[in-house]
Amino acid sequence: MSSQNPKRVPEEASDPSLSVTLDGETVDARPGETILELAERHGKDIPTLCHDPRLAPAGACRSCLVEVEGSRRLIPSCATPVADGQVVTTANDRIARHQKVLLALYLADQPDFAARGETPGGAQACELHAMADAVGAPTDWPKMEPLRVGREDRNPYVQFFPEACILCARCTRYCAEIESVSAISLAGRGAETTIATADDVSLLDSSCELCGGCIDVCPTGAMTEKMPVTAGRRGHVEPEKVVRTTCNYCGVGCQMDLHVEPAANDGRGRIERVVSPEAGTTTNDGNLCVKGRFAYDFVDHEDRLTTPLIRAEDGSLREASWDEALARTVEGLMGVHERHGADALAFVSSSRCTMEENYLVQKMARAVFGTNNVHQCAAT
Amino acid sequence: MAGLVTTFGAGAMTNSIGEIRDADVLFVIGSNTTEAHPIIAMEMKRAVHRGATLIVADPRSINLTSFASRHLKLRPGTDVWLLNAMAHVICAEGLVDADFIETNTEGFDAVRETVARYTPEEAEKVTGVPADDIRWAARAYATTPKAGIYYTLGITEHTHGTDNVYGLANLVLMTGHLGKPSAGMNPLRGQNNVQGANDAGATPIFYPGYQRVDDPEVAARYEKSWGVPLPREPGLNLNVMMKETGRSIRGMFVMGEDIVLSEPNAGALEERMNGLEFLVIQEIFLNETARFADVILPGACFAEKDGVFTNSERRVQRVRKAVEPPGQAKADWEAVLALANAVAEKRGLTPWRYDGPAAIYAEMAKDADKFAGISHDRVDREGGLQWPCTSPEHPGTRFLHEGGVLRGKGLFTAIEYRPSVELADPEYPLVLSTGRTLYHYNAATQTRRGVGLAEKQPVAFCEIHPADARARSIEQGDLVEVETRRGKVACRAMVSRQVRRGCIWMPLHFAEARANLLTVDDGDIVTQTAEYKVCAAKVTRVAEQPAERDAFPGSFYAVAGPEQGTIH
Ligand code: SF4
Ligand code: SF4
Ligand code: FES
Repeated sequence: MSSQNPKRVPEEASDPSLSVTLDGETVDARPGETILELAERHGKDIPTLCHDPRLAPAGACRSCLVEVEGSRRLIPSCATPVADGQVVTTANDRIARHQKVLLALYLADQPDFAARGETPGGAQACELHAMADAVGAPTDWPKMEPLRVGREDRNPYVQFFPEACILCARCTRYCAEIESVSAISLAGRGAETTIATADDVSLLDSSCELCGGCIDVCPTGAMTEKMPVTAGRRGHVEPEKVVRTTCNYCGVGCQMDLHVEPAANDGRGRIERVVSPEAGTTTNDGNLCVKGRFAYDFVDHEDRLTTPLIRAEDGSLREASWDEALARTVEGLMGVHERHGADALAFVSSSRCTMEENYLVQKMARAVFGTNNVHQCAAT
Repeated sequence: MAGLVTTFGAGAMTNSIGEIRDADVLFVIGSNTTEAHPIIAMEMKRAVHRGATLIVADPRSINLTSFASRHLKLRPGTDVWLLNAMAHVICAEGLVDADFIETNTEGFDAVRETVARYTPEEAEKVTGVPADDIRWAARAYATTPKAGIYYTLGITEHTHGTDNVYGLANLVLMTGHLGKPSAGMNPLRGQNNVQGANDAGATPIFYPGYQRVDDPEVAARYEKSWGVPLPREPGLNLNVMMKETGRSIRGMFVMGEDIVLSEPNAGALEERMNGLEFLVIQEIFLNETARFADVILPGACFAEKDGVFTNSERRVQRVRKAVEPPGQAKADWEAVLALANAVAEKRGLTPWRYDGPAAIYAEMAKDADKFAGISHDRVDREGGLQWPCTSPEHPGTRFLHEGGVLRGKGLFTAIEYRPSVELADPEYPLVLSTGRTLYHYNAATQTRRGVGLAEKQPVAFCEIHPADARARSIEQGDLVEVETRRGKVACRAMVSRQVRRGCIWMPLHFAEARANLLTVDDGDIVTQTAEYKVCAAKVTRVAEQPAERDAFPGSFYAVAGPEQGTIH
């Protein structure tokens, strides 16, 4: 069995048995898949806003409309299953006109700061604007007065700009279907519809687990990360450096992308935010938990140890150079070795450290000091 | 871990995280998955949405129990009774997979004889789980082909932890739920690289890749490879090391671990720490253990170094340097390398040379078949590889034991119930268990420094059942003292039906209310893993109550669950 992690297509659904005409070409379709999934498999680029491969289709944003023979109206490809003999067109003038009008309307409803690309939502902040660009939507339509009003929430991580919300309900569906806590939902009616917790309480007092999935799925940056905002780093900037790495908390091993500002902290670099990789590409399927997504501020904490320390005669700790600290360590450990033998030494290594580091510690215990008294701190 | 190696020939999750979504029965025991492994819990919940049956066995009502078809709310420490009774039902009702047992296992007869005595009715008396629920769970598990077992520390952190693992393995073997997708036996690892550290040989009995130190052939290979004579006797386990601290252990090196906060019966350990002649620690923050250190070396965090972590599903994945460590802090591998070479020089040994973590990994893989096909290069290209992966062409292994148990024959082990070492008594009438919460992480030196996580759970707390609280005039948020034979700590009372009557529960993370001052350090007979999950305690309301009660936000799940299983 291959250990690769391809997009997960349910095994039973993989034998093609339907025939569909897609943009003039006859292709095999899998029973149960949507027109969007079929089109994506065949390299078509259909714009989507409310679609997410992890969620049940909502058909809410109307950006993915296609033409199907026999249907007078354009229909949402994300919510329509394939059928044998279907004739589908994914691109023509009528569809292009629809996309331009739709996106122009969305843009007219966006606040000015969002139009300037200033929602601090990371890469996804521009999904809506990028799509408007791509379809060539006019940007000069008169602005509508956004009715949805914001509310302060004392939670530390998630900031909501209701003005920028297009009500695609990706966040609420993610919250219900994937994180399964249903902390947020669509609330209010008509033009006042917005995203809220039950009784409008803070996320901290709701069933929210602060996984931040709502931020990750939001196509407009309306749900966005609060820490950069709090730190005054508002405004979306393309990250200068993106580093794919593995979460350092639990044994799930989620993959994550660290967005780094290399010049910050006097050239040490600073993690600006943590973003989950695209759904379907890694074990965590685009998801992260509260620790993985948000608990990175310890990296720059002022309490970090920055120099070796040595216990002085009077019992206090004083700063020392590496050479001095290493010399003292050799003397200390070898002293015990000489007085009591190798097995009077114990080496505790760490399940938090890398495999290479653990390898070196056990090799040091065995090969350099001559003892098998080595164990990592979490043997379970 | 040892239990799994004995039974199957490999100590790791048999299956993959991605397979959870397609499972039809999930039997989760001793794992507060939503809090300890949130993304695995997410997959379990997705399986439930798809129609899978979730069975949770846990003394507490945890978040996952609200998604479960049945919650087996057993008394702490009675797992062997529950598991043997399930095996009893499976045998008695003829639900065993006779073909699988015949071709792939040995030792079944002894187990069948033993479990014959563990009837569901008797089990109900000991565990508090209704006999019908035990029957139902056993049938659901045994009769569903895609049925997987998932467990964590709630199973292993007992004096009978290895027995618990054997008990689970017996269920897997008698039903043949092994060597196929979405089934198997899956220990979920607590920390990010528990699996990797074990794999790398950071254990007193194994070289890298689970090769025994007392196997002369293995030792000879490593002596040749490393160019030095090597000790042939297994070393001391962590729990024994801690007990021998200041006695036969006189010098210690500790990397990235706050032993004083994390190890059980910490008060006694602190006293013994004073008997150390020399202690060096390598850390990113000053911690409790630092109070005893002679030298403290500044380490680097995961974002500041290169290497690999191996997750619970045996997947080797890269850790990549994104920022520089602060000041003179160094990646731990650089520090260990410098230290090893300084000692080597003094002892006249050849110094080690590695130009980086990739070279270190390559050396490890060269002598351990399981990882022979894995390299940094390949992981960079392919994005993660699951061992066993024995050659550069090998694609890695999604689930183990396909087409036969690795060990040759899966080993049944008959087990008998032994009570936990310390049971409740008139003086200490409550059973204390300890564990982890979503918002903090082990010693919490990292998470409690975050601006946000501390906000959700800023103070230490102890969960207590409403009836037990009432009997002690304790109200929600009161300051209470939790005391055991080993020590006492003060914290806030969280009155909650999450815990069974007669049981209390505390998180491990808080330095000002160290649950490990309370726990017993008796270890499992095989692994020596300490019994964090059961000890006898008493709780009293502190007479003087501080003014700012409001500061106590409680837990996320403070909402009382339905009362169940309160037979006491
Ligand atoms: S906040 Fe974002 S994800 Fe949620 S409904 Fe609004 S636009 Fe969609
Ligand atoms: S993001 Fe959460 S679930 Fe994933 S590895 Fe990190 S701590 Fe574990
Ligand atoms: S993506 Fe299809 S309707 Fe939104």
